[in-house]
Amino acid sequence: MNELDRLRDAMRATERSAPTLDLVAVIREGRRLRTRRRIAGVGVATLATALAAIVVMVAVGARPGEPPPVDRPPPVAVSPTPKSEEPTPPPSTPPPKPLGRIVDSGVRHGADQRVYYVVQVSVPGQPRVSIGLAAGRRAPDGTLTTDILVNDVEGADRSPGFHQIGYDERSAAAPVPAFGYFVGPAQRIVGTVDGRQVDARLARWSLDKQVVIFWFEPAELTPGQRLDGIIARDGSGRRL
Amino acid sequence: MARGDGEFVEFAQAATARLVHAAFLMTGDHHRAEDAAQTALVRTYASWSRIRDDDAYGYARRVLVNHLVDGWRRPLREYPTEEVPEQRRDDVADEVVTRRWLTAILGALSPRERAIVVLRYYFDLPEAQVARELAISVGTVKSTSSRALEKLRAAGPSAADNQEARR
Repeated sequence: MNELDRLRDAMRATERSAPTLDLVAVIREGRRLRTRRRIAGVGVATLATALAAIVVMVAVGARPGEPPPVDRPPPVAVSPTPKSEEPTPPPSTPPPKPLGRIVDSGVRHGADQRVYYVVQVSVPGQPRVSIGLAAGRRAPDGTLTTDILVNDVEGADRSPGFHQIGYDERSAAAPVPAFGYFVGPAQRIVGTVDGRQVDARLARWSLDKQVVIFWFEPAELTPGQRLDGIIARDGSGRRL
Repeated sequence: MARGDGEFVEFAQAATARLVHAAFLMTGDHHRAEDAAQTALVRTYASWSRIRDDDAYGYARRVLVNHLVDGWRRPLREYPTEEVPEQRRDDVADEVVTRRWLTAILGALSPRERAIVVLRYYFDLPEAQVARELAISVGTVKSTSSRALEKLRAAGPSAADNQEARR
């Protein structure tokens, strides 16, 4: 028996009988998640693009054969829970309103700017989560279109360290460079992908300078490509 | 219970053990493994109407693995004094030895290497599918697998070897 066979055997030999998971809670949470996806799908679309709203809603809630990046929880919006399991009628929910200044990434999609901004969110049972970070596009007339919204689903949104990272899901009209935020005195954020180090661009949130918004240039990190690792360093190069 | 929930419960009961074990192999942490499996099932349920007639298990597995891979930045904890199910004493001893060996060698791997090893050698997925599920290239799967196996070889003899040596 070679090493690989032994590894296979060991992985199987250590299987245990199924632990008892609370499937009632699983179904309850699954229903909530489904509802949030539908509401968020409506919320991310602009009023001017009702058709796009439907497309985004489908894309966020249902991507055939390919689950969404799961560490990035679905966007969360506050709304009464619909009793029906049918999709919420579009598009009565206004797009999320930016809190503080909008960060221009310098990335352009035609005439639109790729921008990042903090928005208010509400997560049931999580009073310490009140903000999320949105990736959107700003048109020349100032209209904002939210492509992806990431937020914590547990804990505290201002706890030190990295929070959720958003990756392109191919659901938006333009590719979304990977982005996220770090809480702390980061002066440099470096991602690793395929053994290569990639520096992120940084901007501090205008309402809380501890919140460091970061994103990766599409030329450096292809939108949708996942990082293998990420670290933050302070001004003296010390790892945070 | 809504239409389809019965099917989902049946699916979840059948899939839970493997999902939890795969998560344990990737994390070395039973508590985290159960949380991850529960998260995967929640998300699978949320998409159930779409995937129930397709590859529901594959969907749940992808959700689980991506959830854990994306959570790499959280510190991994080990629980060396874990509970073991009731078994014959010899079986328990063997399993403990094997589990310790497995935990030690998998612990020497990076999160990505662990994910690739679990997908390739626990789920027996082909390299191309591993690459798709982790959104990386086939070349990266090959090179990472190779690196991981080198580490496994360097980690020393397996539990099986130890048991044979004791006989």
